Amino acid sequence: MAKKNFLEKKDVCIVSYAETKIDRTTGKTAYELAAEVAEELFTKTKMKPADIDGVGFSVPISECSNPFWSNYATDYLGISPRWLQTSDLGGASCIGNVARGAMALQNDICETVMLIGADAPSTKWSANYGAYRNEFWEPTGINGPPGAFGLLYQRYMAQHDLDFRGLGALAVAQRNGAVLNDLAYEKFRQKITIEDYLNSRQVSSPLRLLDSVMFCDGGNGVIMMKTERAKKLGFKNLVYPISYSEMTNFKCADQTPDITESAHSVSGPDALQLAGMKASDISMFHPYDDFLIAVMLKLEQIGFCKRGEGSQFLRDTDLSPTGALPINTGGGQIGAGQPGLAGGGLNLVECVRQLMGEAKGRQVPNPKNGMVTGIGVIPYGRNWGTGNVMILSK
Amino acid sequence: MSTPAPKQAANKPTPKPRPIPKPTAGTKYFWDAAKRGKLALQYDPDNKSYQFWPRTISVKTGKRNLEWRDTSGKGHVYSFTVTHVPATGFDGKTPYIVGLIELDEKVRIIGNVLNCKPEDVKVGMRVKVMFEKLSDDISYFAFEPDK
Repeated sequence: MAKKNFLEKKDVCIVSYAETKIDRTTGKTAYELAAEVAEELFTKTKMKPADIDGVGFSVPISECSNPFWSNYATDYLGISPRWLQTSDLGGASCIGNVARGAMALQNDICETVMLIGADAPSTKWSANYGAYRNEFWEPTGINGPPGAFGLLYQRYMAQHDLDFRGLGALAVAQRNGAVLNDLAYEKFRQKITIEDYLNSRQVSSPLRLLDSVMFCDGGNGVIMMKTERAKKLGFKNLVYPISYSEMTNFKCADQTPDITESAHSVSGPDALQLAGMKASDISMFHPYDDFLIAVMLKLEQIGFCKRGEGSQFLRDTDLSPTGALPINTGGGQIGAGQPGLAGGGLNLVECVRQLMGEAKGRQVPNPKNGMVTGIGVIPYGRNWGTGNVMILSK
Repeated sequence: MSTPAPKQAANKPTPKPRPIPKPTAGTKYFWDAAKRGKLALQYDPDNKSYQFWPRTISVKTGKRNLEWRDTSGKGHVYSFTVTHVPATGFDGKTPYIVGLIELDEKVRIIGNVLNCKPEDVKVGMRVKVMFEKLSDDISYFAFEPDK
């Protein structure tokens, strides 16, 4: 068990963030998207490639057939890192990399870390999973993540009351965020209603189309350094990761687990405890959102509401930027489009943007802190592989 | 983690066939058993428990001391989803049921529920294994109501 909060001293910070427009079938490669992110980070921080000595990437679906992705990508960007990390935690990679980057900085392995997620799965698909998938998954016609989540919805409904109007309220709130987010996928920048959600076509029943993300192309990133150095260099608007917890393969050896319980039932309470906080202390929530029920289950398991009451909580809570619990204020991935396995960075960057007070028309009034979560990998007959949680503050 | 893009009517590509498993050294027994109409599971004699999906190491003991056992292939529906967008090889079969089946041996396995209408499948419903011949070498497991 973990039990030291390696982030409690606020000795490392995020000094800048960047994000590309999210779009479909751009014809761009992940390298080209990473270059867009890097240029924005260099411009905002007045740095050059030679100033970066630490780099972390998430593995892109569009380039994962290359076992040397991060090596090629840093070469592409003109960077000679002394610390180079590639994370294959899927949508959990981005906040996972913030934690890993913090450890590299704290141990003086490097002094300026650039973390980038960039992926173009709607342009190019390179993934081939192996493991159980070829023999025990694809031939069943389960249809990947929507099918896996269809199983999860159905099981939840067998155990609890699921009010689809609550999930609809979440879909509406996130879409409202996308309307105000000029980086969101353009076709998603129009409002929807709860009825639109309820009437959207069945994909893997009970999972509907508007429960789901859509794969797009895009990228995002942040620059981190020690707080002492950031202040010396004149950075004024700093965001601190203040606690982090991660778990992969929750109850892995249990052959008949309750699939409505995930790794977040461990990492969520853990991250709160490390920060000395309760769920009610969180100013805003930026959960990884591949399907709406994932957000709902995390609300329950992290402790924002009781088990089995997630949909009622969503139905009865103001989720807007000025509400009781703002959620995914820029649209999240479901509202704004999912930039492949850079997706987790979308939730992270929105949290950082909010804490820096730069969210313009969707700004949460003076947020003290924000919680970001990640989800990585769809395991066999369960919920998700990696579940991590990071709390950030000003 | 995304929904497949809607199929476009114009220039519709030729449907790809259903994927056929290629057995590995570690799964050969499973597929040989399926060919003779049996659902085989790995049994861990040290922990006296079964496991699925097949691995060559016990997830309980960390030992590679596992044996294959033929089972009754009976269990119940732990959960299910009705698929409306066909996966590769399932064109023309929608809506079809994919079940997460809890076998009596206390493991879960994903498979189609056949010979059952989508409106009739229920969580808790008893099912038994059946096989679909995909090739000369591969018979693929599915489940049907056990009345």
